[in-house]
Amino acid sequence: MKRTMELITQATRSMDRIAGWILMLAVFLIVVNILSRQLFRSSILGTYEYVGYLTAAVIALSVAYCAVQNAHIAVGFIVERFPVKMQSMIDIFTRFISLVFFGLVAWHMARYAWVTALSGELSPTTRLPFYPFIYLTALGLLALCAVILAQLLATLKKVMGK
Amino acid sequence: MSPIETGLVGILLFFVLLFMRMPIAYAMALVGFLGYSVLTSPSAAFRMVSTDLFSTFSNHSLSVIPMFVWMGFLAFHSGMGSRLYHFAYKLLGHFPGGLALATQGTCALFGAVCGSNTATAATIGAISLPEMRKYNYDNSLSTASVAAGGAIGVLIPPSVIFIVYGIATEQSIGRLFLAGIIPGIMVMLLYIMTIYVLASRNPNLGPAGPRASWGERLQALYGGLWEVMLIFALSLGGLFAGWFSPTEAGAVGAAGVLILTLAVGHLKWEGLQKSLTDTTRTTAMIMLLVAGSIIFGRFMAISQIPFELANWAASLDLPSFAVMSIILLIYLVLGFFIDALALILLTIPIFYPVAVETLGYDPLWFGVIIVLVVAMGVITPPVGMNVYIIKGVAPDVPLEQIFKGIWPFLFALIICLAILLAFPGITTFLPALYQY
Repeated sequence: MKRTMELITQATRSMDRIAGWILMLAVFLIVVNILSRQLFRSSILGTYEYVGYLTAAVIALSVAYCAVQNAHIAVGFIVERFPVKMQSMIDIFTRFISLVFFGLVAWHMARYAWVTALSGELSPTTRLPFYPFIYLTALGLLALCAVILAQLLATLKKVMGK
Repeated sequence: MSPIETGLVGILLFFVLLFMRMPIAYAMALVGFLGYSVLTSPSAAFRMVSTDLFSTFSNHSLSVIPMFVWMGFLAFHSGMGSRLYHFAYKLLGHFPGGLALATQGTCALFGAVCGSNTATAATIGAISLPEMRKYNYDNSLSTASVAAGGAIGVLIPPSVIFIVYGIATEQSIGRLFLAGIIPGIMVMLLYIMTIYVLASRNPNLGPAGPRASWGERLQALYGGLWEVMLIFALSLGGLFAGWFSPTEAGAVGAAGVLILTLAVGHLKWEGLQKSLTDTTRTTAMIMLLVAGSIIFGRFMAISQIPFELANWAASLDLPSFAVMSIILLIYLVLGFFIDALALILLTIPIFYPVAVETLGYDPLWFGVIIVLVVAMGVITPPVGMNVYIIKGVAPDVPLEQIFKGIWPFLFALIICLAILLAFPGITTFLPALYQY
């Protein structure tokens, strides 16, 4: 169990690192576009679209590691007043429904990417296929599910062990 | 079940999940999905969730968030806050409560490069609390002054909450930033007055430090202030002048801090890596929250609750000021339990139409007012996020002691709120000058 969590942490941390560099790329793309606009009176075509898709990639790749760090905001002050076992039972319930929900959303996101690819839909300005970014979002949600599953199993083990 | 009944059950379910410690973003998305499924069909709800999630993540307007967040974390990891504090300390340290006064000034200056109240409180807390301890400041005053000071950072642009409010309500982010400047300075001045009065009446709370010479002050000015002024002028100056879009202003600010701090050797490789990790974590948290609120908002819209609420508010035989007071009271109470950003995202689809479209209040003024009200929530129990952050910086100070020190600052925020309610022009004056 511990090994699985370590593997998930490592994998999601690597995804998060890539997200950081993609963000840096988006920042520099914008700056280069501004300089090009000011100095040469010519903008980089599609900067607006590229930045949007790069931001989608940043979020898709970082959403799971955010969950590893328990950084998604939650209100814990009521549950914290309950006995530890009860807290664990509540966590098992909420994690289970989160897992089912995000699992289904990841599946539908992948279907959305597949339909977009099949339809040949392209971005409005640069006429580029953007379905890979939708697949990446599905992958990010799948990684989030892996994190929730690992947390769920860890809580289950804690309850069983007591 | 009628759409309105479904909506009410949905709101109830949301609060149940919220208090069961489910992350707020998950709960909003899940309840939004379930409600939409009931009122349309599960397949339509899945389509809505998939397209809304991707369109939120790839929304160019929302790309502004990671840009300004990174700018703030770069400033944090390059020690910019520390240099600012050094400058403010040299300037104000010799007054009664001078270090706490310097803390407020630093919060305002750091707020000019950082868009988050929690990041401002964490940064300035880590720098100022050890100094205040060295000079035997009262623990309650020192910790509370830093926790409260974070609220200044959220009003002084750039501000992530204003960005999110602007996008959710289709208001100009530049004009919202301008609307926050005077209230932010007012909060800082009210805090400074509060500390000065407290420390003058009881010098043991904050003994005065040594007076710095003008030479030392000028040296500190060169060391700290110029970086912030340069970045602020470059990034937000460009935005206010109409040269950049908000996303471009954020990117210019982030690239500016990066290049500047690398060039002068203040940012190391490790700091750069940490700034990126902190930024991706914060961005993922915010964007999932935004996406969740959009999904929840879709459900609210088809449940008709916002429209019925707006109609009900219009039919009330009460002056609009009384209705607004009720709305602010709701924000205040919810703010005790729910994080500021999440609360704004959750309630905008419900209260914005009432306040702006039905009662006719200025959308920028409403934004500033609710940000100020939810800022009270970040320093009050039980959720008081900034207080917990300061507790993390000063683990030996009991939470009760920090909360005890918060009262005078809360009173200052209430005075500021009363002034802005009585004189809305204070908020709308600067944005009225902005033509873009």
